[in-house]
Amino acid sequence: MTVLAALQGFDSLMSGDTVVAQNIAFGILALVMIVAALRMVTTSNVVHAALYLVIVLAGVSGIFILLGAEFVGVTQVLVYIGAIVVLFLFGIMLTRGALGEDEEADTEKRRMAVLVGVLVLVVTGGAVLDSFGDAAVNRAAPSLTAEIGDTIFSQYIVPFEAVSVLLLAALIGAIVVARKD
Amino acid sequence: MSVELLTLAFERPPIDWHAFAPEITLLCVGVLITLVDIVFLERARPYTAALAGLGVLATLIPILTLALDGADRTMFGGAYVVDDFALVTKAIFLLAGYVVILLSTNYVAEGDYWENEYYGLLLASLMGMVMMASSRDLISIFVALELLSIPAYLMVAWRKRDLRSNEAGLKYYLMGVFASAVMLYGMSLLFGVAGSTQLSHIADALVGAGPSVAVITMGIVFVVAGFAFKVSAAPFHTWAPDVYVGAPTPVTAFLAVASKAAGFVALLQLVYVGFYARPEVFEPLVWILAAVSMTVGNLIALRQTDLVRLMAYSGIAQTGFIIAPLAVAGHSGAIGDQALSAVVTYLAVYAAMNLGAFAVIITLARRSGSTEIGSFSGAFHYAPAMTVAMTIFFGSLAGIPPLGGWFAKFEVFRVLATAGEPWGYALAVIAAVNAVIALYYYAAVLLKMWAEDAPEGDHRPVPFTPSLTSALVICGGVTLLFGVVPQVVARFTDVSLLALGG
Repeated sequence: MTVLAALQGFDSLMSGDTVVAQNIAFGILALVMIVAALRMVTTSNVVHAALYLVIVLAGVSGIFILLGAEFVGVTQVLVYIGAIVVLFLFGIMLTRGALGEDEEADTEKRRMAVLVGVLVLVVTGGAVLDSFGDAAVNRAAPSLTAEIGDTIFSQYIVPFEAVSVLLLAALIGAIVVARKD
Repeated sequence: MSVELLTLAFERPPIDWHAFAPEITLLCVGVLITLVDIVFLERARPYTAALAGLGVLATLIPILTLALDGADRTMFGGAYVVDDFALVTKAIFLLAGYVVILLSTNYVAEGDYWENEYYGLLLASLMGMVMMASSRDLISIFVALELLSIPAYLMVAWRKRDLRSNEAGLKYYLMGVFASAVMLYGMSLLFGVAGSTQLSHIADALVGAGPSVAVITMGIVFVVAGFAFKVSAAPFHTWAPDVYVGAPTPVTAFLAVASKAAGFVALLQLVYVGFYARPEVFEPLVWILAAVSMTVGNLIALRQTDLVRLMAYSGIAQTGFIIAPLAVAGHSGAIGDQALSAVVTYLAVYAAMNLGAFAVIITLARRSGSTEIGSFSGAFHYAPAMTVAMTIFFGSLAGIPPLGGWFAKFEVFRVLATAGEPWGYALAVIAAVNAVIALYYYAAVLLKMWAEDAPEGDHRPVPFTPSLTSALVICGGVTLLFGVVPQVVARFTDVSLLALGG
C-alpha cells in the first residue's frame, strides 16, 4: 500500500475514484479471453475450439458482472454456455464431422478470414475508441434484476408477448419440418 | 431493499385496447385455427384456409374503426404508435396476406402440405408485420422482424420432400440470421450512443452528438444493411433467386411482397423517426443500394429462363425503385414527406401487381407443372383471360400508363427531380435507363404468351378455382385503380412520419 501511494500516477487508485479489485479482475479476464479466443481460431480440433469458446463467453459474463449487470451476466451463462455451446457440441457429434484434427483447413480461406477479422477489429475498435474514448460507466446505479423484470412487463410488454407467439410458431414449424411423414 | 418494496413499485402499464385490437384479433384467429385442428383433426381441414382468410379480413375491421377515429395513439412513451402511416401499412400487409391465403388454398391442399400449421405460421408472420408498422423502438422492431421472419424460414422449407425447397429454407435461414446479427450489432452501437432503444430518443441523441461520430455512422450503416438484406437490395440480394425458386410458389409471393414490404416499413421508420438528423450517412448509402439494385436486378433478369427466377431479379430491381426516394429524403421536410408518400404508394401498387403476376404464374403452372418461360408460350390460345391479366400486371411492373406501376414510378421520379440535387437527377437518369431495360424482359415474356404457339400443340383449358380467380380480381382491380384514378387512391398513402420524429 505505501509503495503504491508513493508511486506517481497511482493516487487515483488510492483515492477511491477507481475500484482497484474490479480493474485487476477485468485485466485478468481480458487476458484469459484474448488467449482463449486466439486458441479457438487456431486450434485444428473442432471440439477444442468449442470448449475455448466457452472460456471466452464465460469471460464476457464475468465482465458483465463486474459492471454490475448481474442479470445480463447470468443470462450470458445460461444462454451461451448452457444452450448454444452445448448445441454446437451436439451438432459436431451428431453430424460426425471431423471430430479430431481437420487437416484440410484451406490456406486461402484462412488468409481471407484473417484479413476480414483484422479489418473488423480495426474498424469497430477504432470507431468505439473514437466515440466513447474514456467515458466512464456510472457505477452508482447498477442495473437491478427486479427493475428489468418490471420493465419487461410494462414498457416492453408488447415485444414480450410477441416473443411468446414467436416461440410457439417456431416450435410448431420445427416439428412439421423435422418429423417424418 | 426488501422484496415487498420492489413488488409495490411495479405499476400496471396503461394499455389502449382499441389500438391493439388488430394484433389481438390476429392472435385470436391464430389460436382458434390451432385449437380447431386439435379438436376436429382431419374434419376441419377443408375449412382452415377459409377460416384464416376470414380472420385476416376481420382484422381489417379494427383498422377501419381506428382510421375513422383518426387520432394518433401513442403508447409506452412513444415506443408503440398507431398513426396514419401505421394504419395504411397494416392494411397493405393484411390485404397482401389475404391474397396470399387465396393463392395458397389449392396449392397447399393439393400438395398435402400440413395445411393447418401452414396457415398458423402465415398468421404469425402477418402478426409480426402488423406489429412492425407500429414499432418505434429498436427492441420492438427487432422482435417484430424475427416474428415475421422465422415462420417464413420454415414456410420456405415446407415442401419437405423436395431437395430444392430444403436448400432454399436453409439458405434463407442462414443468410437471414447473419443479417439479423449484423443489424443487432448496429442497434447495440446506437443504443450505446443514445442510452435508449426508443427511436425518438435516438433521434435526439443524434442531434445532440457532434457532426461526425464514427459509432453513429457505423450503427446506421449496419442497421440499414441488415434491412437491405430483408428487402433483397443488391448487393445483399444473393439469397433471393434460389429461395424464390425453391419455396412453394405462394410462399414466394408472400416473401416477394409482404415480407419485403415489412422490411421497407421498418426502414422508413428507422430513417424518418430515428436517423433523420443524419442525411449525410443514410442518403449516400440508400443511393448506392438503389442504383446497384436496379442495375444488377435488371441486367441479370434479362438472361433468365425460369419465370419465378425472373420475378426474383425483377423484384430486386423494383426494390431499387422503391428505395430510391429515400436517397433525397433528408433534403428538406417537404421533400421527406413526399418521399415517404412515394414509397408507401409504390409499396401498395407493388403488392397488387406482383401478387397478381404470381397468381397468374400459379394458375398456369397448375396446368403444366413447370415455371420455365417456354411452358407459358401460347397461353393466349388456351387461357386468354390469364394472358390479359398477365399483360396488365407485367405492363404495370414495367411502368406503362395507365396502369398502377406507372403512377408509382412517376411519383419516384417526381420526388427525385423536385429535390433539385445533382445526385437526385443522376439517380433519376439511372432509374429511367433501367425502366427501359425492364420493359424488354417483361415484353419478351408477354410476346411468348400472345404470339407463339403452345408447346406440343397442347390446348387443354386451364383449371380455374374460385380462390385464384378472386385473388386475380383483387390484384387487377387495385392495379388499375391506382393507374386510372391515382389522385383518389393517393389520398390514402399521403402519410407523414416527420411530425412525430421532430
